[in-house]
Amino acid sequence: MSDSPAANPRPVLDVERISIAFGGLKAVTDFTLQLPRGRLHGLIGPNGAGKTTVFNLLTGVYRPTSGAISLEGESLLGMRPSQRAAAGLARTFQNIRLFPDLTVLDNVRVACHLRTRHTLAGTLWRSSLAAGEELAIIERSRELLDILGLLHRERDDARNLPYGDQRRLEIARALATDPKVLLLDEPAAGMNPQEKIELRTMIRSIRDKFSLTILLIEHDMGVVMGLCERITVLDHGVTITEGTPEEVQKNPKVIEAYLGEPVALDAVGGGGGA
Amino acid sequence: MAQHRGHDAFHARANALRPPFALSLLRSAWPLFACLALAIVLQLVIRPMMPVFAAKMLVDIGTSIILAVSLTMVNGFTGQFSIGHAAFMAVGAYVGATIVYYGSFRLFGNANMHGGLLSGMIDSRNPLPLFSWADLLFLCSLLAGGLAAAACGYVVGLPSLRLKGDYLAIVTLGFGEIVRVLIQSQTTEVLSNPQTIAATPMYMWPKYSGGALGFSGLPFYSSLFWVWVFAGLTLLVAARLKYSSTGRAFLAIREDEVAAEAMGVPTTKYKVRAFVIAAFFAGIAGVLFAHTVGVQLNPGELGFLKSFDILIMVVLGGLGSISGAALAATILTILPELLRQPPTIWPWGLIAGVVLAAALTPFSEKRWKPAVTIAVILIAWEVMRWTARTLGVDLAGYRMVIYAIALVLMMILRPEGLLGIREIWELRPVRAGGRGKGARR
Repeated sequence: MSDSPAANPRPVLDVERISIAFGGLKAVTDFTLQLPRGRLHGLIGPNGAGKTTVFNLLTGVYRPTSGAISLEGESLLGMRPSQRAAAGLARTFQNIRLFPDLTVLDNVRVACHLRTRHTLAGTLWRSSLAAGEELAIIERSRELLDILGLLHRERDDARNLPYGDQRRLEIARALATDPKVLLLDEPAAGMNPQEKIELRTMIRSIRDKFSLTILLIEHDMGVVMGLCERITVLDHGVTITEGTPEEVQKNPKVIEAYLGEPVALDAVGGGGGA
Repeated sequence: MAQHRGHDAFHARANALRPPFALSLLRSAWPLFACLALAIVLQLVIRPMMPVFAAKMLVDIGTSIILAVSLTMVNGFTGQFSIGHAAFMAVGAYVGATIVYYGSFRLFGNANMHGGLLSGMIDSRNPLPLFSWADLLFLCSLLAGGLAAAACGYVVGLPSLRLKGDYLAIVTLGFGEIVRVLIQSQTTEVLSNPQTIAATPMYMWPKYSGGALGFSGLPFYSSLFWVWVFAGLTLLVAARLKYSSTGRAFLAIREDEVAAEAMGVPTTKYKVRAFVIAAFFAGIAGVLFAHTVGVQLNPGELGFLKSFDILIMVVLGGLGSISGAALAATILTILPELLRQPPTIWPWGLIAGVVLAAALTPFSEKRWKPAVTIAVILIAWEVMRWTARTLGVDLAGYRMVIYAIALVLMMILRPEGLLGIREIWELRPVRAGGRGKGARR
């Protein structure tokens, strides 16, 4: 495997040979990934390749049948999704999963609760600590909304936002958990070309601003190739290759996975003539 | 767990924003004092001016509000479907009643009412102190009933709230039946001889709680004071929860459990938390119910039918709306009583209707809607009375039928509940025909 020589001795996210099988179906086999701090990494593959399954394994929705996952040296195996979020792993969802009846501001505020120190008694008594933390949560949430350009809609219900804004709100909400690693599941899905260009700039800028490490799944090749420093290609749950965008684009296995096996020309011609 | 980079910055900012201690104390405490003062005024000043019947209605409304608002924390906030709320009420009622009844025998030698002015509904006693030791006994029984119910809530909630979907509904329904049958299968004996009671060890008291015949001879401690202090407390706790990090986590679970978990909300822990708090207040409502004038504590009355009564209040008020649940609890407690002998709408019904229509008009997109709805209700009411008089029918016999029809109509006309998921204080006037900021859907 053509892994780059590790500039950072210890990767932020270290995934070692995780596999999962649903009954007889091996959805993901021996998936390995090392993300150094600040990396923007792409995960691509045809439909049903197991990309979202990898996300669900990383965030704890599924339990891998074998393998190890660690975040800054801390093993994540056996942790519930909420504990992984607390450890610094945040995600967005392929099919947007906002809290539709809560306001835009409240959607972000929910994700801020991880930092709070006040107890339930403090909540019910409205202690001075609880009051201070609630104010700090509002300030912080509004900052994040401002960065994502959603501050003017903070009082609207999340369900009433246009699609592109909903995607950005999901990112704002994930950032509110204060992550080390951010997993983006098809952030460009359903966006128009202009929005896609803005999204690329935005993802880069939040990576720098919050010193994040980002892993993203994306079908839009323009976004993936223009944004990611390295790319992993999955097909049928198996890693086909890993490398820079240029390397991946030229790799015959990748082309095969997306377009099918090369076929003799006369066979194609015969089929077309019939 | 390792500390985050961002956390220290956040904590520093939170510390900078902390209100001064004195101000914070004042903000935390004033609603409690306001609620206490209001309940005292209600009991000592307003009640003597009221007919006993009206005071009893107010006690029933207060108890219903405690039950509906506490169930809102589970069914409305976290979106879990509990249909065994009356079971927690029963646990509280029997624990509280046992303590008050047998405790009174130990302390006073009989189970008569020994409370001060703040307890009880009827002034048949001599000049009394404001507060007596018996009131303290009642307060202890209220807290004990609440805690016992909360403990049951924890035991029932911990395994069933791990699971998604309808499990909780089935488990709570089953728990309700278990509690009812357990109480019914006890001996029907209630000890009333001071010597026998003195000879019976404390842990045997719950056995002698009347079984299927009901726990008779309980003193009537519940008063406007006790009921409304705890109704106020329930409303305060619900409101403070809703507008806090914890409350938003509850709402997030209702909205999308997977997303809530991914955003760091430990969903099982928070669901259990909401369930235990709700059970605590249901237990307190049970103790209040057991010691209300005209109530004979009976396990049959606290079965699943009672649970559904409470559930109807929550759904009708609007799932998740505290004020909606309180409003529905008030309406649904008054309505069956009002239907016993439907009064004419002239003049009070008409005046109330006009005021209500005027108040609601700015909040409706279609300006004519509140006025027309209220006019239709008032006309239907008079038509119903006129028909009954003409046909010589006694409406009291049909009151539960009319009550049920009213429920069906309300659910058809406003399926999202009276207030939807909003609170009364969150409603904003809407521009006619358009969608304003406060408009829903």
